[in-house]
Amino acid sequence: MSRSPLDYSINKPLSSRFNPLVFIFKDLILFFSLVGVLSFGLFMLYSASGQSMSMVYRQMIYICGGLILMVFVSQLRPNSYKNLLMHSYWLGLLLLVYVLIIPAKGYETSRWIDFGFFSFQPSEIIRLILPLSLVAYLCRKEIKPQLSDWLVTSAASLICAFFVYKQPDLGTAIIVLTSGLIPIYLAGLPFKIIASYFGLLIVSAPFIWSGLRPYQQERVLTLLDPDADPLGTGWNIAQSQTAIGSGGLYGKGYLEGTQSQLDFIPESHSDFIFSVIGEEFGLIGISLLFMIYGIIIWRIFKIGYSAESRFERLACCSLGFIFLLFILINVLMVIGIIPVVGVPLPLISQGGTSIVVHLLAFGVILSTKKT
Amino acid sequence: MKIIQDLKKDEKEIQSLKSRSRIVLVVISFLILAGLFKIIQLTILDNNDYVTESDKNRIINMPLFPARGLIQLQDGTIIAENIVFQGIYINRKFIDSSGAQIELLYKKVLQDRPKFSHLSNKGEFKEKIWLVDNLNEKELARYELYKNSLPNIKLETSLRRFLPHKNLFSHVVGHMGRITRDDEIYFSTEKYLSDSLIGKVGLERVYEKSLRGFPGASAIEVDVFGKKIRELERILPKRPSNLTLTLDLQLQRIAREELADRRGAIIAVDPNTGYIKALVSSPDYNPNVLNGSENGKPFNKVFKDQAPFFNRVISGSYPPASTIKPFIGLLGLEEGVVTPKTIIEDKGFFQIKEDGRKYRGWKEEGHGKVNLRKAIVESSDVYFYELSSQLTVDRISNFLNKFGFGDITGIDLFNETKSILPTRNWKLGTIGEAWFVGDTINIGIGQGYITSTPLQLVASISAIATKGKIFKPRLISNSNIQEYKPELLMEVELEKEIHWEIIESSMVAVINSWNGTAHNLFRDNGIKIAGKTGTAQIKSLTDQELTVREEYQDVRENIKNRDHALFASYGPIPNPNLAVVVIVENGESGSAVAAPIAQKLIENYQLKFKPNE
Repeated sequence: MSRSPLDYSINKPLSSRFNPLVFIFKDLILFFSLVGVLSFGLFMLYSASGQSMSMVYRQMIYICGGLILMVFVSQLRPNSYKNLLMHSYWLGLLLLVYVLIIPAKGYETSRWIDFGFFSFQPSEIIRLILPLSLVAYLCRKEIKPQLSDWLVTSAASLICAFFVYKQPDLGTAIIVLTSGLIPIYLAGLPFKIIASYFGLLIVSAPFIWSGLRPYQQERVLTLLDPDADPLGTGWNIAQSQTAIGSGGLYGKGYLEGTQSQLDFIPESHSDFIFSVIGEEFGLIGISLLFMIYGIIIWRIFKIGYSAESRFERLACCSLGFIFLLFILINVLMVIGIIPVVGVPLPLISQGGTSIVVHLLAFGVILSTKKT
Repeated sequence: MKIIQDLKKDEKEIQSLKSRSRIVLVVISFLILAGLFKIIQLTILDNNDYVTESDKNRIINMPLFPARGLIQLQDGTIIAENIVFQGIYINRKFIDSSGAQIELLYKKVLQDRPKFSHLSNKGEFKEKIWLVDNLNEKELARYELYKNSLPNIKLETSLRRFLPHKNLFSHVVGHMGRITRDDEIYFSTEKYLSDSLIGKVGLERVYEKSLRGFPGASAIEVDVFGKKIRELERILPKRPSNLTLTLDLQLQRIAREELADRRGAIIAVDPNTGYIKALVSSPDYNPNVLNGSENGKPFNKVFKDQAPFFNRVISGSYPPASTIKPFIGLLGLEEGVVTPKTIIEDKGFFQIKEDGRKYRGWKEEGHGKVNLRKAIVESSDVYFYELSSQLTVDRISNFLNKFGFGDITGIDLFNETKSILPTRNWKLGTIGEAWFVGDTINIGIGQGYITSTPLQLVASISAIATKGKIFKPRLISNSNIQEYKPELLMEVELEKEIHWEIIESSMVAVINSWNGTAHNLFRDNGIKIAGKTGTAQIKSLTDQELTVREEYQDVRENIKNRDHALFASYGPIPNPNLAVVVIVENGESGSAVAAPIAQKLIENYQLKFKPNE
């Protein structure tokens, strides 16, 4: 779609002056919300890591790098990297196969790639690459996607999910599958196909269950009755519930959370950082965090709905949903509604890959904003 | 036109995107609602439960025990104190996962010690498993060196009971031990840890409550590994009481020396107060070994089958033998069965019927014409056979009971026995036979079914010394908060007070007159002592053909069959201040073996009351 000379005058008020902040950060509300959440995350990380400054510094480096990448990507025109995104699928797939064949030493499961100076999880990256490449694929032609397009993209998601499952990481596999299916669905996947997918799922459910490893089955079962074995798999959940519950309305105060400071919460700096927030800042702190998250999601959809091309709209909305989904899965896991899966709390949990990938996604979102 | 067409197409697409998004949002909003509800439930509705839960996680209430109370003599000499020990233990829950650490500990720190063998004993419910509880300085230094490689093995300082006089007070003070189920039931109202030390016998047990004080508490904040972070609150323990013994160190030492290498019991009591001045049961043991404050064996191997832990003074039941005679005589006078002048012909034996069984006296040719005084002085058996046969068992046991036979005295020691004061019912119930006159006759000389503890004997003999008063025997006169005043246990009232004098003068004559059985004690200008010898038969001599002396010659071949030597006494006369009972097992002669010990004690005790020159 070629730009008409008229567009410029229609979309740009004549009175507006050049604002360097807007020029660089595109959407100031979104940008400062992000910076707010990120800095709050650093504060929480300091508390949750047993007051380790070195962990905070490392996280800070990732955040800065991520922000620079975000600003850089946001300045690009989506069309300029659309094709690149479509083919990045192969790169993602390659990484997934790579960890399966040559797993990093020192880890129980083969989820990591170790470069010596830093290591990362390809499954974190695939969560972003997959939806964007699928959107790019579906929007590569002007015409509506055909049946073959739907099947190809669905299959592509399944393949990625399968490799992640093989790591083995069931939780992330489901999340990868979901992040693939969301853009397909948003792009207009016919309801007939959706119905047949559900049919297939119901028929194959017993086979999937028996294909799960015992510890995965156990995790699912633990969810049904977390009190059954307080020191076993349900112990984590019980401890994090205790942390959030004992925080009450106002919380115990920063650095005063007994559950987190005395190490009763496992993985308190990464996946379970939400329970530290709950314990130290209470329901009020949780609500404030949710509000900022809410503002971020509102801005994503605001930008997405008003984006110019179909590709931009779909990319934006998909990423918005995936962002919302990650928050939801992490919080629901920490409060004990769904099984424990390895999903960090976006922008807050410790973890370089996660932060950089999320900020890259926000770079894509910001780049779709009309200026 | 193309732009407008594009805009329309875009518009349609945006609408489709929005409606599809809305569907996803609706689905997600259910999850969001569920999440929000759960968060509100956790933080608001169930907040209190979780606050409790998180406190339970992090706060441990540790009882604080005060140092155990001291036991000392009147002059302040320490008899039982506490000394510091360093021990290392491992928490039960880490035992399976700390194999390598235990290995390292024995290799590097406890180099010369044998490996602890009960590590996998899971039946016992104890949180702390003590690997070593008495580290020496070298081991302590080595432990400090390897401490960081032994995170699961912890050092703890503890106080141990220590008796500076070792064996001397073992049967008085007793020892400590780790609490068992039985102890927990016994002291059910008290707060103990599963590895607490508790008094097992003796004063340690009887005065456990006062010696222990009242534990305080300390609320400790711990992390998930159980490591102490800080103390949140502290309630100070209440100090225990220090106990003061009634015992006399000098007498106790003499008594123990005299009984060294013998089996037996000595008890010396002030008859006017019931305060015990010496209490020795031999063989004894070293309580420090059981308290864990000294290494080695609690007693020498040779004493192994001589029951060194058995307190003969309060738990040993012996036939009172001839020491019972003054009481039978007193009963004869009271009942009017005999008078001091009544004469009985002692031909060496007694028969109930003319051709009946012969009850032989210890002197085969007999004592000739015997009155009560001579019967006591020379210890005529035949006189008391005759007398008791007329008194009947009912009157005898009734009367002896008034002197404390057949009942515990209530001494402040653990495991006192009642012994046996036989009655018709007792025999029917225990042996299943009716009472025979022969049984009564045996009681008359303190043999047969009757038994008594040295403690009972000393209590009864002090009744003669005080003309009827028996004070409860006590080892503790006071603590720093409480005084244990003399307590009248029982009082015997006679029809005629003069009967006391008759018995006492006969008992004095046992020593003072030339024919007395303990005349060997007599010295010119010596302290006047009243006493009665006794020789308790272990094996009954029933062979009608042989004389007692001949038959005993065979019996005494086996040392264990030899007679016990007894002596019950008090002095000085008048105004006695010490009653002493000495029993030497298999000592054979009351006068030659037991009596001199009693005399020595009484004489020594008098030195205390002499003005210093």
